[in-house]
Amino acid sequence: MHPAFSVIFFTVSSGAGFGLFALLYLMDLFGLDGGLPVEQKLVAGILALVLVAAGLTSSMFHLANPKNAWRAFSRFRTSWLSREGVFAMAFYPFAIIYLGLTWLVLPELEVLRLTAGALATLLAWITLFSTGMIYGCLKTIRQWNSPLVPANYLALGHFSGALLLLAVARNGQVALTGYVTLVLALLVVAASLKAIYYFWIASPGTGSTIKTATGFTRGTVRLLDTGHTHGTFLTQEFGFQVARKFSLTLKTCVFLAGFVIPALILTVGGSAAIAIYAAVLTALLGMVAERWLFFAEARHVINLYHGAQHC
Amino acid sequence: MNAIVKIENHDKQEIKFTTCYMCACRCGIKVTLEEDKVRFIQGNRNHPTNQGVLCAKGSAGIMKQYSAAKLRKPLLRKPGSERGDGEFVEIEWDEALEMLTERLGNIRATDPSKLAFFTGRDQMQALTGLWAQQFGTPNWAAHGGFCSVNMAAAGLYSIGFSFWEFGAPDWDYAKYFIMWGVAEDHSSNPIKIGLEKLKRHGGKFVSVNPVRTGYSAIADEWIPIKPGMDGLLALSVVHVLLSRELFDWEFLIRYTNCAWLVVDTPGQQGNGLFLRDEAGNPLVWDLEKKTFVNGLDKDIAPALFGDFVAPDGRPVRTVMSLTAERYLDDRYAPANVAEECGVPAETIERMALEMAQVAFKETVELDIEWTDSWGRKHDKVIGRPVAMYAMRGIAAHSNGFHACRAVHLIQMLLGALDGPGNFRARAPYPKPVPPHQLPENNLDVINAPNTPLSRTPLGFPMRPEDLVIDADGNPLRIDKAYSWEIPIASHGLMHMVITNATNHDPYAIDTLMLFMSNMAWNSTMNTKNVQDMLREKDPEEPGQHKIPFLVVVDAFHSEMVNFADLVLPDTTYLERHDTISLLDRPISEPDAAADAIRYPLIKLDRDVRPWQEVLVEMASRLKFPAFTNADGTRKFKDYPDFIVNYERSPGVGFLAGWRGKNGEKSLKGEPNPKQWEKYIENESFFAHHWPDSQKYNRFANKEYLDVAAEVGFIGKSEPIIMQVYSEPLQKFRLAGQGLYDGPQPNNQTDRERLAKYFDPLPLWYKPLEQARVDENEYPFFALTQRPMLMYHSWDSQNVWLRQILAQNYMYMNRGQAARMGLQDDDWIWVESHNGKIRCQMRTMEGTQENTVWTWNAIGKQGGAWGLKPNASEATKGFLLNHLISELLPAKQGERRITNSDPVTGQAAWFDLRVKISKAAPGEEGSWPEFPALKPLPWDDGKRPDTLRYSTRSDDKPSK
Amino acid sequence: MRLGLVIDLDVCVGCHACAIACKEWNASGTTAPLTDYQPYGAEPSGVWFNRIRSYEVGEYPNNKTINFPMSCMHCEDADCVTVCPTGASYKRAEDGIVLVDQNKCMGCNYCSWACPYGARELDRESGTMKKCTLCVDRIYDLKIPIEERQPACVLTCPAHARMFGDLDDPGSAVSSVVRERGGYQLMPELGYNPTNHYLPVRKAKPIPTENLGKPGFKDKIKGIANRIVKR
Ligand SMILES: Nc1nc2c(c(=O)[nH]1)N[C@H]1C(S)=C(S)[C@@H](COP(=O)(O)OP(=O)(O)OC[C@H]3O[C@@H](n4cnc5c(=O)[nH]c(N)nc54)[C@H](O)[C@@H]3O)O[C@H]1N2
Ligand SMILES: Nc1nc2c(c(=O)[nH]1)N[C@H]1C(S)=C(S)[C@@H](COP(=O)(O)OP(=O)(O)OC[C@H]3O[C@@H](n4cnc5c(=O)[nH]c(N)nc54)[C@H](O)[C@@H]3O)O[C@H]1N2
Ligand code: SF4
Ligand code: SF4
Ligand code: SF4
Ligand code: SF4
Ligand code: SF4
Ligand SMILES: [Mo]
Repeated sequence: MHPAFSVIFFTVSSGAGFGLFALLYLMDLFGLDGGLPVEQKLVAGILALVLVAAGLTSSMFHLANPKNAWRAFSRFRTSWLSREGVFAMAFYPFAIIYLGLTWLVLPELEVLRLTAGALATLLAWITLFSTGMIYGCLKTIRQWNSPLVPANYLALGHFSGALLLLAVARNGQVALTGYVTLVLALLVVAASLKAIYYFWIASPGTGSTIKTATGFTRGTVRLLDTGHTHGTFLTQEFGFQVARKFSLTLKTCVFLAGFVIPALILTVGGSAAIAIYAAVLTALLGMVAERWLFFAEARHVINLYHGAQHC
Repeated sequence: MNAIVKIENHDKQEIKFTTCYMCACRCGIKVTLEEDKVRFIQGNRNHPTNQGVLCAKGSAGIMKQYSAAKLRKPLLRKPGSERGDGEFVEIEWDEALEMLTERLGNIRATDPSKLAFFTGRDQMQALTGLWAQQFGTPNWAAHGGFCSVNMAAAGLYSIGFSFWEFGAPDWDYAKYFIMWGVAEDHSSNPIKIGLEKLKRHGGKFVSVNPVRTGYSAIADEWIPIKPGMDGLLALSVVHVLLSRELFDWEFLIRYTNCAWLVVDTPGQQGNGLFLRDEAGNPLVWDLEKKTFVNGLDKDIAPALFGDFVAPDGRPVRTVMSLTAERYLDDRYAPANVAEECGVPAETIERMALEMAQVAFKETVELDIEWTDSWGRKHDKVIGRPVAMYAMRGIAAHSNGFHACRAVHLIQMLLGALDGPGNFRARAPYPKPVPPHQLPENNLDVINAPNTPLSRTPLGFPMRPEDLVIDADGNPLRIDKAYSWEIPIASHGLMHMVITNATNHDPYAIDTLMLFMSNMAWNSTMNTKNVQDMLREKDPEEPGQHKIPFLVVVDAFHSEMVNFADLVLPDTTYLERHDTISLLDRPISEPDAAADAIRYPLIKLDRDVRPWQEVLVEMASRLKFPAFTNADGTRKFKDYPDFIVNYERSPGVGFLAGWRGKNGEKSLKGEPNPKQWEKYIENESFFAHHWPDSQKYNRFANKEYLDVAAEVGFIGKSEPIIMQVYSEPLQKFRLAGQGLYDGPQPNNQTDRERLAKYFDPLPLWYKPLEQARVDENEYPFFALTQRPMLMYHSWDSQNVWLRQILAQNYMYMNRGQAARMGLQDDDWIWVESHNGKIRCQMRTMEGTQENTVWTWNAIGKQGGAWGLKPNASEATKGFLLNHLISELLPAKQGERRITNSDPVTGQAAWFDLRVKISKAAPGEEGSWPEFPALKPLPWDDGKRPDTLRYSTRSDDKPSK
Repeated sequence: MRLGLVIDLDVCVGCHACAIACKEWNASGTTAPLTDYQPYGAEPSGVWFNRIRSYEVGEYPNNKTINFPMSCMHCEDADCVTVCPTGASYKRAEDGIVLVDQNKCMGCNYCSWACPYGARELDRESGTMKKCTLCVDRIYDLKIPIEERQPACVLTCPAHARMFGDLDDPGSAVSSVVRERGGYQLMPELGYNPTNHYLPVRKAKPIPTENLGKPGFKDKIKGIANRIVKR
């Protein structure tokens, strides 16, 4: 599939945002390392909201007819895309109540604050899951049509969220060991899931082939003519292909930038501010690379009709 | 839900019927107009040709109508600018017509032959031919010479009708159908309709073709023959049929000249001519009377085989004995031709036997009573349901005439012609073999100023006396048709006109008038050099071109327009009156004689005129007798008036329908002033459906022949005897052998060609060009095919069609390519004896291993056809034509000879051989490159980035 | 009712007539117009609802070329509809036709991702998704002569390789031809249950060539006994 920047940015940014918020809430709830000072909570919370908002707006750029975007909430019952939008919207009020009350610090409303936070967190998770399912539900793309996809979105969202949380916590004069461990734990989970995913898509699929696509079961089937000399919507939207070499190099980048380097920095570099920022930055770069590959490596079955033997 | 589904705005719409012009198939169309814009073009269900269906080109007619390349006003080459620079000034019609009248008037008053008027694949040859005849120039022809005259000539000299447009397979009853070298044909929709019918009925479809696309794709059996070998394959089939006595005795004896007796006195005058009585009737040996009798009589029992001694003592043999002797020779045994044809011997044998099985064991019998020409009544029509069709795969080779005769020989042996399930004639065919029409060759008439020719410039020579040459044997026509070089050039040699006129060989002309043919590009061989010829100045006459004045009549900005001195802009098919006449290339189907019209459906928005109108106007201004009253006033107000009132012979005019004062008569009758209205009322076509008794065996069907004679299709009602053995050919051969008592060539080359190629029986020989180039140096045959969705050069201007095919590739067999280290999308050099081109290649399974091919006429000159100069048609598309020479490779002690069939002058497009090599890295884009054409005066050259054609007013883009 | 097309691969010659007729009809149809990009330029392209591809099966000289038209299959289980967030894509209950409401579509392309058959194309000018409407604006138009209330592509097909009808009705012409010729669906494994069916290439029955006499006429010919045929 054609890796559109808007969609890459959207998923990475909102993923991190939701992850950050969910973790923020959990830290807050269980008071990890004695919990964060209010300012940090607010910073983290607002950062989360901003990331999510940024993500959603950028996803708008990918619409050819944005004036109808508001209708996107109407097919909640069947469409993961619709669900994602609805949950994302539903997330805000609760998230804002939670942050508002956190800011006002009103002990008598603590229960309300925590429930709101809990609900927002729940919605964050559902939204992240929905984002994953937007891709995961497509039978037309083998590389996406798997529970691994939402699992990846959740894991990577939380991993990048954890890093951001750590970065915020860094300015909170609080003990960071907990946060670092959290990051490393999530890093391990995310990295393993991604590894599994890459192994899985590398294995030849048992699914559709040029033979099932055409119904010509006898003898080799070769494309003679696509019927149109130059590109069509179909070739532009679905024709994208990455060279195997390049995708391999990029995968190493994903792991180096996304996981290995941040891990090293955090274990070796300790809690020095720039170390942490460096970790966050490389990790985010890794995420972008990961997301680019996620699209670039997806082979839509329409390609079978354009000569691919299998997808 | 229907709520949001917009439905047509019928109140604003109007439906009209006319005839498609996107190709020569001429289907009936139903056009929906919405406020003078075209909403929808669909097939007319009632039309005999297309029965409601429509091809891609026809449906895309809308985008032709709204083409950016449409001409808008008459143009004159800008004074001072060079021919071919494409710089023009707009002029008024009056000025243009005055200029032309004066020039043509002078030519006509001095030396009429100095006007050469050649027309493309137009559909109005009856009018242009009449015009040329009235002008008095022999230098007229349409595109047949470079198109498929081999099919027409072979058919008309053998069976009285022919492939190409003069016959069609009987799809209803055929059980076995062989298609020889057809990609699309003129009969585009009927063939598609027919193939489906055939397959639905369980008939077998065999395609003989080096390439498997289009029709061949759906063939039950594909025979990837080597190009140029069909004649040999067909004669091998004949061998198999003869060797098992699988032929139709009755048919051969009754309807062909197989029992006629041929004088067998080698080396003597008269050898090989028919034994005739005083009255000139061919004689046969009567088995019962045991004597020679008139072979045309009834109640005779002719011997099919046998050697006899004529009363005058000369030995004679039946045609069938000669035929059997020749083709039973082992030379034609499948095993001995398999290698050359690239077809396994078993396959050839099986082909022949399958045909015989279907013809003789699976006959169709219809309970239809009919009467043969000898008055014998038959209560049944028996069909031998083997049908064939052949086109340019056979025609476009220099051995195509004989190859096509060989195919007809198979049909005659099987008795599979014009019966149920056969290849059947389309009115006004069949005609006598050959038709009784000789080309004008009276020198005095031709040279007489201001005098029409006594007959049309084109015809069918019967003997050397009919050639169009002067006393010294020099050609009288600029294209050398009907000269010793090309004696039976029944459609002329349009592909030689520019070359000959430039070389002033046989003489210089003054004005070349080209209508509807892109001779500066895809319809000419050797394109790049021909463009130079058009530019060439005459050293004798400083400042004047070798071809002094070039008039181009076109409707669009073609490559040809770019070279014109004077451009006369035509209308489109939806803007003018037009006739598709029985006097022309007919649209009849086997079961119905038919013709059709066009009439203006939409208002003109430009200063252009129908060429039909201009011809009538010029004819009147030049006072052609047929267009002028006794008192010198013009006879016809305009073209529609001419069509209604002109009679070629009493009661016979351009349109056969609704004749007679009140339109009560068909085919023949006095002019009907309301004829156009009648056609328009009747969906713009006329069809006379033959009664069952007149549908079959029309070559000897009395009832039919009586009608045909009555309405002027043929001279008189007499049987049309098919000619397995062609005496006219033999007469020319005798002339070549120096054994003819009449004109004979004095040039050695001509003598040899006549002696070799004018064999009275079908023969196969290696295509001429191939016999002169080294096969090891040029290992590949190179061909083109028609794309089903494009018509020659002029559909690239169609913004819908070009989305499907905007670049052509050179296709090569995949295994072959692999062996040569070539692969898809490689840029390659393709080189022939005549030059080289660079193009991009593709591989496929369905191409014969020694063959490469590409789609025809997709390559374009930048800036032409309303396209931007960077259109991929111009930057990546290519023409094969650069590689094809209009002349054979030079040979010691021989003048340059045309690259054509030596009998008919058919351009030998497909004789080409090439070598192929991979282009160096970085060598990309098609080559040769041509400068982009300059925009025409009214054109700022700007083109929109998007097009949103629609007749819906309420469709605004949402942003 | 389950309206759709049946396409006969045994007779499709790949002429593109149906593709053009479709373009022509729909250029002024319910989702009109269908934008063309760079129509006069280097690389022309545009919005089409019906595209013809060609394939080759087997190897030379035993290869077969098969032309393969594809338009919307009007699937029973059309994910293109379920994934659409705006409800612009819908499948009509009454006849199963799948349509896009141009007034609701936001141009997110998501439905086209969900379509296995490449039937949906975004019109960049209108910003909306467009697709084969099964000529819903022809087949129900009472002002059109009854025999012409058919999809434009079906009407025009010169090889009669396209049939239109109700595949729910076992008695319909389309249903019976699918039964008789073994019509099949594309990529059934994806579970979209396409309504359109494809008829496979027919197998021609062999023609007997035995008992057509033996060779050897050549030798007979000398003293051949001519047959008496009167004329
Ligand atoms: N769509 C469309 N229709 C057209 C035209 C068009 O441009 N486009 N042009 C019209 C005109 S002017 C004409 S003359 C007709 C021509 O109609 P066709 O005769 O169908 O024209 P070609 O495309 O030249 O087809 C030649 C076929 O013969 C095959 N062939 C080449 N050499 C040989 C050979 O040696 N033996 C055999 N057996 N096959 C061979 C080629 O592979 C090709 O399939 O089409 C008319 N109809
Ligand atoms: N390599 C190769 N070359 C070939 C062939 C091949 O098979 N291979 N085929 C040959 C054959 S058979 C033929 S018939 C020729 C065909 O080639 P051409 O005879 O050149 O046919 P077109 O390319 O259709 O060009 C016809 C011209 O008529 C113009 N025209 C179109 N409509 C109208 C109209 O309404 N009025 C007027 N006045 N003009 C109009 C067009 O703009 C165009 O300039 O090509 C020949 N050239
Ligand atoms: S075959 Fe196509 S282009 Fe030719 S006349 Fe018929 S509809 Fe028009
Ligand atoms: S119109 Fe018919 S034959 Fe032509 S491509 Fe379409 S389906 Fe095939
Ligand atoms: S073919 Fe594609 S667009 Fe049509 S219904 Fe099926 S999934 Fe939807
Ligand atoms: S592009 Fe339009 S129709 Fe398709 S999913 Fe998006 S909103 Fe729905
Ligand atoms: S049914 Fe109508 S919209 Fe669909 S492909 Fe055919 S012509 Fe196009
Ligand atoms: Mo032609």
